[in-house]
Amino acid sequence: MLRVKDLESGYGPMQVLWKPSLQTKKGAITSLLGPNGVGKSTFLSTVFGSVKPWGGSIYYEEKDVTYMPTHKKVEMGLALVPEGKHLFPEMNVYENLVMGAYVKKASRHREESLALVYSLFPVLKERSGQLAGSLSGGEQQMVTVGRALMTKPQLIMLDEPSQGLAPLLVQEVFRTIQKMKEEIGLTVLLIEQNADASLSAADFVYIMHEGRIKAKGSPEEIKGSPEIREAYLGI
Amino acid sequence: MIGIQLAGNLTQGLILGGVYGMATMGLSLIFGVLGVVNVGHGAFIMIGAFTTLLLFTQLGLSPIIAIPVALVIGMALGFFFYYTVIIRLTEAPELASLLATFAIGTLLEESVKFTIGTEFRGYNWDVGKISLHITTLPMSKIYAFVGSILIALLLYLWFSKTRAGTAVRAVMQDRKGAGVCGVNVNWIYALSFAIGIGLTVTSGVLLTMFIPVGINPYMGGAYTLKAFVIAVLGGLASPYGAFFGGLIFGLIENGTYTLFALVPSLEPFAMTRFLSFLILLLILLIKPTGLLRAK
Ligand SMILES: Nc1ncnc2c1ncn2[C@@H]1O[C@H](COP(=O)(O)OP(=O)(O)OP(=O)(O)O)[C@@H](O)[C@H]1O
Ligand SMILES: [Mg+2]
Repeated sequence: MLRVKDLESGYGPMQVLWKPSLQTKKGAITSLLGPNGVGKSTFLSTVFGSVKPWGGSIYYEEKDVTYMPTHKKVEMGLALVPEGKHLFPEMNVYENLVMGAYVKKASRHREESLALVYSLFPVLKERSGQLAGSLSGGEQQMVTVGRALMTKPQLIMLDEPSQGLAPLLVQEVFRTIQKMKEEIGLTVLLIEQNADASLSAADFVYIMHEGRIKAKGSPEEIKGSPEIREAYLGI
Repeated sequence: MIGIQLAGNLTQGLILGGVYGMATMGLSLIFGVLGVVNVGHGAFIMIGAFTTLLLFTQLGLSPIIAIPVALVIGMALGFFFYYTVIIRLTEAPELASLLATFAIGTLLEESVKFTIGTEFRGYNWDVGKISLHITTLPMSKIYAFVGSILIALLLYLWFSKTRAGTAVRAVMQDRKGAGVCGVNVNWIYALSFAIGIGLTVTSGVLLTMFIPVGINPYMGGAYTLKAFVIAVLGGLASPYGAFFGGLIFGLIENGTYTLFALVPSLEPFAMTRFLSFLILLLILLIKPTGLLRAK
């Protein structure tokens, strides 16, 4: 579905990504794990196009999208739940969600997407008239995920969706991710620092360190390798 | 007697304030969306004034017709300067965009000076007047006021009801969030800059309907200053805030004019200008987010 090869990018003169390669399988949860500051978010931003690639290639559904602008990728069914929410604070929950259905393809499915989001997060329906800025952290995260679902994606990329949430809510996030896969049939690319939870959710795992992929395999393989766990995951 | 004079001046102030407000909306829009402070703002007002003057004196066309013409010219200039200059500056440090917009303003002023000259010009568009008990208002000023309100209303409707307007609001509130929704942020930047400049050039038409004299290449400077005061009054990044900021500013300017004129040996016109700066300083000291903004 998504095939990234030897991706390079960075900020100004500083190179962050040193040719990581990664593939997602249709209908599966692929997880990219790694400690702080190794370039996970940069990887997603580069795949999404908000950071320009310096080299390498990105294929989505067998099409070369390496230098495609982000709004076209959204139209093709690629969605990003960015780190740090990025909601529209002066719009209410409903308006935030509807903004997710901005591109033409998504706007045609607006009502059914909205029903889906409300069934996934019933509390958002109750809060629909409230300003996004006034919600709790967990509810804001739901809006962020909901807004991404409103774009009618096939592949959803989540950047540390459980960050800063209470343990109970973290469980809720992972349950939602399972639902995205099983009930909506989405392909998921999940970035996490929470190694335990994402090892049990994922179908396939990549481990990133200093901008490179250092290991990959099924969650069982990663869990079964004490070297990998110790060197990169600290568990 | 003073009461009547004050009421008359306040009426004039309210009308001028509406035009001031409209003349600041473009500045606020551009700052709100792109984070660029357009120091060349007044030069675009000057372009609007000359558009009106030339259409009227050369072709005999009414300033009403100059309104859509100025909007088109302004938007064309906006797109041109966005794609040639501003596009490189949205990520750059503020100083770069200040210098660039200052340079654009100077370029416009010198081009007009070079082709038309530096004399003060004016025109006389007589469409009658109405006499109120407190003051006499030329119809041209009333048209300017109504025009300003209509344009502000149209902008409001565009913002709240259209797809593009909603996208502009989204970019203003969170650029990255808008990108995630599939908004083409670069296009929204270009469009907002073009509309901002279009509004500003159009406001030049309305301002000459109010004051049809003193048209010259360097007339913009005073308006740039006033627009900054008004924009700060209205919360800097909010076009509607700017409109109401303009109304307040017009009232203060004209109201205090009457009062300053009471004091012998004071030059009231110079005092109102001093007062603008005083207001700017006070707001920046007390409530730098703007008087009309809740946040
Ligand atoms: N916008 C930016 N400008 C400059 N440098 C950046 C920017 N964003 C990230 N970096 C740097 O790039 C490196 C990788 O950051 P990145 O955010 O991709 O890491 P991460 O793996 O997502 O970390 P975290 O787990 O903390 O989110 C870091 O050294 C960071 O300081
Ligand atoms: Mg990150």
